[in-house]
Amino acid sequence: MEFQSESPKFALTVDSDHKATEFKIFSIAKPHMRAFHLAWFSYFSCFLTTFAAAPLLPVIRDNLNLTTTDIGNAGIASVSGAVFARIAMGTLSDLFGPRLASASLLLLTAPAVFLFSMASSPISFLLLRFCVGISLANFVPTMFWMSSMFSPPVVGTANGFAGGWGNFGGGATQLIMPLVFGLIQHNVGAAKFTAWRIAFQIPAVFQVLSAFAILLFGQDMPDGNFHRLEKSGDKPKDKFSTVFWHGVKNYRGWILALTYGYCFGVELTVDNIIAEYFYDRFNLKLHTAGIIAATFGLANIVSRPTGGVLSDLMARRFGMRGRLWTLWVLQTLGGVFCVILGRVGSLKASIGVMVLFSLCCQSACGLTYGVVPFVSRRSLGVISGMTGGGGSLGAVLTQLIFFKGTKYSKETGITLMGVMIMCCTLPMTLIHFPQWGGMLSGPSSINTATEEEYYMSEWTSVEKEKGFHCASVKFAENSRSERGKSDSLTRTSDEVSPTVHV
Amino acid sequence: MASRSEIVLASLLLFLSCLAETSDANGVVLFSSLPNTLEMIVSPHKPEQVMKPAEGSWTFGGTLKAGEDKLSISWRLNQSFSAGTTDSGYKTIKVKLCYAPVSQVDRGWRKTVDNLAKDKTCQFKIETRPYKHVCDSFYTQCTHRLVLPCGLEGGSASKWKYIDWTIKRDVPSASYFVRAYAYDGAGVAVAYGQSTGPKKNYNIFEVQGITGRHKTLDVVSICFSAFSVLSLVGFFVVEKTRAKPT
Repeated sequence: MEFQSESPKFALTVDSDHKATEFKIFSIAKPHMRAFHLAWFSYFSCFLTTFAAAPLLPVIRDNLNLTTTDIGNAGIASVSGAVFARIAMGTLSDLFGPRLASASLLLLTAPAVFLFSMASSPISFLLLRFCVGISLANFVPTMFWMSSMFSPPVVGTANGFAGGWGNFGGGATQLIMPLVFGLIQHNVGAAKFTAWRIAFQIPAVFQVLSAFAILLFGQDMPDGNFHRLEKSGDKPKDKFSTVFWHGVKNYRGWILALTYGYCFGVELTVDNIIAEYFYDRFNLKLHTAGIIAATFGLANIVSRPTGGVLSDLMARRFGMRGRLWTLWVLQTLGGVFCVILGRVGSLKASIGVMVLFSLCCQSACGLTYGVVPFVSRRSLGVISGMTGGGGSLGAVLTQLIFFKGTKYSKETGITLMGVMIMCCTLPMTLIHFPQWGGMLSGPSSINTATEEEYYMSEWTSVEKEKGFHCASVKFAENSRSERGKSDSLTRTSDEVSPTVHV
Repeated sequence: MASRSEIVLASLLLFLSCLAETSDANGVVLFSSLPNTLEMIVSPHKPEQVMKPAEGSWTFGGTLKAGEDKLSISWRLNQSFSAGTTDSGYKTIKVKLCYAPVSQVDRGWRKTVDNLAKDKTCQFKIETRPYKHVCDSFYTQCTHRLVLPCGLEGGSASKWKYIDWTIKRDVPSASYFVRAYAYDGAGVAVAYGQSTGPKKNYNIFEVQGITGRHKTLDVVSICFSAFSVLSLVGFFVVEKTRAKPT
C-alpha cells in the first residue's frame, strides 16, 4: 500500500502511522528528531537533580548532622518515589499525551530541588530527596514519546539513545555539581554550608527550562498534539479504567517489570554504593572513588543506545525472538560479571569487570525497551510505566536486601546481587507472542496468530465499530517486521507486507 | 648479568615502592603506641559557659557557636615526666579539634582507627607551632582562664602554652574535645595529650555550626518554586482559551 503526497511534511521517511523509519541523531527536524532531543534532555535534567546530592554529601552530611543510616534512607527514598509515579505517568501519557505529562512532572517536582536551600534536618533532607526522585518517572513519557514518533524497525534505537543519554545525567552530575559548588565557593565567597544550597538552584533551573522547551517546541505525535487530534476526531479519547485494565492484564508487562528491576534497578543501586565500595575496599581517595563511580553512570552514553541498536539489528534478522534472546543473554552476562566484581581483589581487575558489567547491564536496559513498545498498543503507556516502575522497585529492594546495615559486606552484597540478577532474568523465557513466538518456541501455528489479532484483542467490537482501533491496525501492519527475515518467507497465512515508506 | 629491560623494570618497581612509602609521610604509627605525656585544658571564653559540677572538675555548659565563640586551649608536658629528657625529641606540636564518640556513632567518615594515617577522629587543625622547651612569659587577658603564668611553678617544670582560637565557621554541629600531637624532626608522631580522658567521656563540649541558610536564598528559592508551578497553571489556561474558538 502506498500513500502519496503527504511526504513533504516530514523530513524523515515515515510509515503509515507517520512514525519515522530512520533515526538521524544530529538533526532537529520537526517533529521526530526534535521530540528526541527534547525528550532526552529533559530526562537528563531529572537525573541531574535527583542525584545532585550524592557528590555533595560530604558537605551536606556535616551541615545537616546526618548519620550513615540517614544517608542510606535518603538514598532509598530518592529512588522509591518513582515506583508508583512511573505507573501513574504511563497512564497519564496514554490519556493526555507525553508532552503534557512530562512537562507537568518537571514543573511540579522542580520546587523540591529549589527548596533544598531550606533543608535543616535529616527528615527534611529525606523528604526532599523523595520528592525530587519522583521526577525520575519522566522516563515513562520519554519512552512513550519515542515509541509514538519512531517506527518498529528503529524504535529500539530511539528508546535506547533517549534513555541512555538521559541516564548519563546520573554520572554527569557527579562531575558537574562539585564544579558548580567550587565555583560558588570561590567566586561568591559563600561558606561551604551555604554554597551547596546555592548550587542546587542550578540544576533546578535546567529542569524548568527543559519543561518550557517541551511545551513550546514539542508535540505528542507526528500528526499533532493529543488535544487537537482528539478534538478533530483523528484520535479517540480513551478511558482510564480500560487503558489501565488492558495494561495490567498483560502478563508480559509483569515479567518485563521484574526483569527491568534487575538491569535498571541494579544500575541505580550501583550508582548509590559503588563510590563507597571502591573507597573502602581499595583505600582510594574520595575524589578518585567518585570519578570511578561517575564512570559507571557515564558509560550510559554508549551502552544503553548500543542495547537499543542491537535490539533493532537482531529484529531485522530474527524478529522479536532475536530481541528477546539478546536481552536474556546480555542481562544474564551482566549478572555473571556482577558476581565476579564482588569476588575480584585487585583494583585494576575491579575497574575492568565494572566496565564490562556496566556495558551488559545498561545495554540490557536498552534492549528491554526494544521489546516494551510491542507488548501493547492501546496501553503502551501503562506497560512502559509498569516496566519502569519495576525498575525503580528493583533498586529499592536490592538496596534494602543487600546494602542496608552491616549484615553483608559490600563485596558479598555485590556477589549476591549478581546471583539475583541471573535468577530474576529467567522468567523472560516465559514471554510468548502468538504471532512471533518467544525465546523457547516459535509463533503459534493457528491461523489467528497474527499481529492484527494480537493488537485488536485490546478493543471490544463496540469500540471497533466506532473506529477507535485504527491506530492499532496501522501499528499491527508496521510491526510485521518483528517476524524477522526468514520467518516472513515461510509464513503462508498472509501476503507479504513490508514497512511502508511515504 | 641483568639485561637492560630487567634493570629498567627493577628501577621502576623501586621507584613505585618509594612512591608508596612517601605517600603516607608518617609511616604506620599507631595511636595506641603513643605515650600520653601532655596535659591539656580547654575552656570557653564566656563565664556563663563554664560549669563546675563537682569539686576539682569543671565542664562546659551550653553550646559554643561556630564562627563566633572562642576557646582557650592550654597544654604543657605532664609534671610526672621530666622535662628535658621525655620531651627531648618533640619538635612540633599540632593542636586539633576532634570528634567525641557520641558524634562518631553511625558516621563512618569520622571513625577512630588506630593507624594514625587513616584515623578520622581529628579533622580540624587548630594550631601548629614549634615545641618550646623554654619558659615563655606572656600576659593573660581573661582572668577566669585556668592558665598559670610563667614562673609560678617551681623548678624546671615545663610551663603552660596556650592559644585563643575562634571556632571556625565550617565546624559542623557536633560534640568535641581537643587533642595535641607532638611530632619529632622527621614529622613522625611521638606523643599526644588531650583535654579528656582515655574513654573520652568528660569535658566534652558541643559546638553549634552555622545553618548555611540565608533569608535571601530562602526567598529566592520560594519565588522560583512558585514560578515553576504557576507557569504550568498559566500554560494550561492559555491552552484551554486557545482551544475554545475551534
